[in-house]
Amino acid sequence: MRMCTHVIELGVLGLMLVAALSAVLIYTVIGFVPGTDETSVLYPISLALVLTGANPMIVLTFFIAAIVTLNLTNTMPTALVCLPGGVMSSPMIEHAIAVKAKGRSAEVIQKMAAASAIGVAISVPIALVIANLIIPFAQNIRDYAAYLFVFGAIFLSLTSRHKLVSLVSIVPLAMLFMSLRHLYWGVGAVPETRVVTVSFFLGITIGPLLVSLFRLMNRRLLNEVKVDANKTIVVPSEANKKRTLNPFKLLSKEERRFASVSAVLANFLFVLSPVGLTILIGQAAGARAKRQEDRADVAMTTMSALIQATYMSGIVIPLLALGLALSPVALGPGAALFNTPPYFTIDHNIHHILSGWQFTVAVVLGAFVAMTLSYVLISRYAKPITMFILRRIPHEAVLGVFIAFIVLLAYMDAGLINVFGVLLVGLVCGTLNKMGVNYGVQFMSLYAAPTLIGFLLGVF
Amino acid sequence: MKKETLIDIWGDVVAVKSLVLAIVVITTTTMGAHLMAPKDNQTLGLFFGLGGAIFGFAIMAFVLKPKREVFDEDVHPRD
Repeated sequence: MRMCTHVIELGVLGLMLVAALSAVLIYTVIGFVPGTDETSVLYPISLALVLTGANPMIVLTFFIAAIVTLNLTNTMPTALVCLPGGVMSSPMIEHAIAVKAKGRSAEVIQKMAAASAIGVAISVPIALVIANLIIPFAQNIRDYAAYLFVFGAIFLSLTSRHKLVSLVSIVPLAMLFMSLRHLYWGVGAVPETRVVTVSFFLGITIGPLLVSLFRLMNRRLLNEVKVDANKTIVVPSEANKKRTLNPFKLLSKEERRFASVSAVLANFLFVLSPVGLTILIGQAAGARAKRQEDRADVAMTTMSALIQATYMSGIVIPLLALGLALSPVALGPGAALFNTPPYFTIDHNIHHILSGWQFTVAVVLGAFVAMTLSYVLISRYAKPITMFILRRIPHEAVLGVFIAFIVLLAYMDAGLINVFGVLLVGLVCGTLNKMGVNYGVQFMSLYAAPTLIGFLLGVF
Repeated sequence: MKKETLIDIWGDVVAVKSLVLAIVVITTTTMGAHLMAPKDNQTLGLFFGLGGAIFGFAIMAFVLKPKREVFDEDVHPRD
């Protein structure tokens, strides 16, 4: 009997390895394509895997390997050619431009990969420890989850650059989401037990792109974005690339310290928006660099570590400790792991199915395989892969795939009516986004929506 | 020959007509494939849809040329 379970475990372990390798392969390619939004590429593929009914350990390994790979490869187009690989790497752009102007991109890319590895190595154990510390209080936290989102929306507004417009937008946004839900229930588009969330989440992330596309339909606004010629991109030289692969030798003492400390810090702030944290802590670290000329390097390496730490803690802590999607990462890119009926539901998901050690093995395996492979890959082939993508992959096709994904997921979530519902969400959220209401505030408003509407009615 | 209208969107340059074409073609292949899947099977529905998206993307990547001039500094060093 005991032998038997061991044989099964070996089989599962083998499949977990295959899952991790597939994740590295898929997300290395996606990561190098500029402008690929994390949620839109992580959610559909992990959802597909969950829907095959795969073993939860395999699903978890795949997802962890996917975020680790994507978070590193996404920073490559950013650092090399100053096109953001995804939402998370957009705060790096200004520093990437400074580094590129000095012709030091190849060297900084190696440093970023090293910092990224530090971010993963630190946040995996810390996230697991924090999760285990939280477990005794899990029930209390679950009881107050709804208020945490309201608090989160207000907190993120007050820490953002545009405080007032963010704060004032919270309730109207909540009204928008709840009115669409009630419309769908009212006309019978979805059963009243079904709360449409993920497609609204995607509507928020795709919002700024939708607004840009809508503007093209106005001739005057179209003229504003017209350009005369193709985009000229110079891919920097690799002449000053270092030969070592040892992450500690690549980073200065200052860079190592900032990367490590921020990664630790980010783990405790897992309920906050990852991109918000990356900007907040990353810029602060850059500004604290001792020498003016090190600022860009420190900011970019710290951000690389932060991106990994925010995602790792954002998925591991809520999933292991609570089984409730209580962080922006869990609510968006990782939503499939929490709630994909009939495989995972709020009362029966990876949190309930896997034991502590099964969970740990899956996370460690996924993170280790992905980090090792993508680290070597990036250090050796960042440039040829970037050249290939820039010369072969048209930006039109990338934008086209995004729109198609959104239409597909909106349709699957609540039918044709929801395609237009998501369009409405995207237009409102994208417009607010351009006025300074960041993603974090908008996501929190989405999750706080039922509670906020309750407040308005005086039902506490 | 009339020059195509180029615009700057999301940090990169695209031709308006190619962009509209890409959105229409890829959405059509995606939804077309999705609607061909068995109605009662959510899993297959998603897989068909994703397959359609990849198919559409491959066609568009083949048909359209990126609007970028890429220079390699190792080949053309800066002065």
